[in-house]
Amino acid sequence: MEGGSDVGAWSFYITTLLVYFVVDALSAFSLNLQFGYAGVVNFGFIVFQAAGAYVAAVVTLGPSGGQASFQQYILGSHLPFPLELLAATLAGAVLSLVVGLFALRRMRRDYQAAVLLIVSLIALQVVSADVPLFNGSNGLTGVTWPFGQLFGATATGSPFLYLGYAAIIGLLVCLGVIWLSRSPWGRSLRAMRDHEDAASAMGLNITSLRLQVFVLGGAIAGLSGGLLVEYIGAWSPGAWGYAETFVIFTAIFVGGVGNYRGVLVGTLLVPIIFLEIPRFLPAVGYPGLTDSLEWVVVGLAWMLCLLFRPRGIIPERRLKASLHGSPREPAPAEGSA
Amino acid sequence: MSGPMALGAVDPQVVPTPGAPVLEARDVAVGYGGVRAVDGVSLAVYPGEVVGIIGPNGAGKSSFLGALGGQVKRSRGHILLGSRDISQLPPHERARLGLVRTFQTTSEFARMTVFENLVTAAEGDSGASLKAVILHPRRTHLREQELSERAFGIMERFEMTHTADLYGRELSGGQRRLVEIMRCLVRHPQVLLLDEPMVGVAPHLTGKLIDDLRGIAADGLGILVVEHALEVVRRLCDRVVVMAFGKVIAAGEFEEVVADPQVQAAYLS
Repeated sequence: MEGGSDVGAWSFYITTLLVYFVVDALSAFSLNLQFGYAGVVNFGFIVFQAAGAYVAAVVTLGPSGGQASFQQYILGSHLPFPLELLAATLAGAVLSLVVGLFALRRMRRDYQAAVLLIVSLIALQVVSADVPLFNGSNGLTGVTWPFGQLFGATATGSPFLYLGYAAIIGLLVCLGVIWLSRSPWGRSLRAMRDHEDAASAMGLNITSLRLQVFVLGGAIAGLSGGLLVEYIGAWSPGAWGYAETFVIFTAIFVGGVGNYRGVLVGTLLVPIIFLEIPRFLPAVGYPGLTDSLEWVVVGLAWMLCLLFRPRGIIPERRLKASLHGSPREPAPAEGSA
Repeated sequence: MSGPMALGAVDPQVVPTPGAPVLEARDVAVGYGGVRAVDGVSLAVYPGEVVGIIGPNGAGKSSFLGALGGQVKRSRGHILLGSRDISQLPPHERARLGLVRTFQTTSEFARMTVFENLVTAAEGDSGASLKAVILHPRRTHLREQELSERAFGIMERFEMTHTADLYGRELSGGQRRLVEIMRCLVRHPQVLLLDEPMVGVAPHLTGKLIDDLRGIAADGLGILVVEHALEVVRRLCDRVVVMAFGKVIAAGEFEEVVADPQVQAAYLS
């Protein structure tokens, strides 16, 4: 753990955790929109975050030095803020559109999930093996923060500034997601989630809705990747294994599928608190055992949640008629005979 | 109920000319591999008419309904809504034109309230689009209020207002059936397809539901209903079509159809 000279190690650590919290919250909101609202089981979610991270990296690193350089990549340029984040967002959206067009065809949801998981595995192999693309398994380093450069600041040198920057962007996007989720469009997504055939028989274009939420979620994933890479300054295949998707899924399940307050709680608990605890445990057994405990914790959290609290800590909220802005109140319930 | 009316602009082609059927199936066939579940079925439903389809298990009734709604792929034949051929249209476009349906197993949106079930169905297409929500929030809000009124109107008609804030999964079997039917009616369709609407409905409510459906048909809606309970069919339907082995073996008024030796043989076989 290395902080700037004027920032203590602990405050740097906490600030870094909070930046991760913002990025994970964006991911969890995006995945909750896709899964919690629309029922799309996106087991390839991390790929779209990775796409955003890679694109944000290469468009800020400058032109690639080619094979002679220590890292080679495509699309090298120096885009200023906010174009690099827009490029990251666009990368997530475009990749989602391409993947969605074949992975979300009319087939069972479990098959779609399997296809997306396979996409995740293939993408990791391709990016690791194809060095000219994004420097292969070594990944990219030296990524800068265009917004900070306007003030002569670096992300890790001014972690509080970066946290504020990421938090504002994260907050705006998360509020936008909540607003959309509560809109008639969000309600259509929930109808699709609950019964696709019935929703279709009521006039909803399921194929289009599914693709819309997939692309929107992919765009947010790309943005979250861009925000993360600008802070940590490096990105490689080690950062986006398929298991990372399951960490976000676990956060949603633990917090409460379909409830954004629950999603925030789950994001704080799973990728932040649960996964940080093993770092403070004394080293036991063979080297790396403690690190591996992270995945045991994630798996256990998911299983225990499904067993004892399947709707999560804060379950999906009942949106009463009055909460929809309905001018009329329903008569008092007489029970559900 | 103010008579049949699709949401937004009504395609003039789907409004039947006087005396013409509102729904017509011509030589419709459905195959599953080598099995012909529906084999050349033709029938017509006129505005204001309730037509029942009966037949033994495996006769192809639900497959035929699925072909009409677009959930099941046809292998041949044509389906006309008014004078418009809708054979090639996906289910949501058929619904937008005014052909809606319920399913054999209840299909309420279980994690949505009854109110949300109805409003979602009512808006169906344009109001739910991402573009409309983002670019026209004011218009969307006004539309929500209009749809809310319609939802409450239909709940009042079916005496279900007290369930407005209950989740679909919290309802009884009969109430779920009612929600499905209300969800269809709130769209002001031209044609309503019902697949065994009385399953799960408490016996004392069956009579009321029959009266409601007759009342709805009297508003000019065409209803095609698949039903096993013959007493329900007798009371509800103007005409009855009998299917067996994927084909129509008899059609006419209830009393004459059930007396048909072919029909009796099909039920006994």
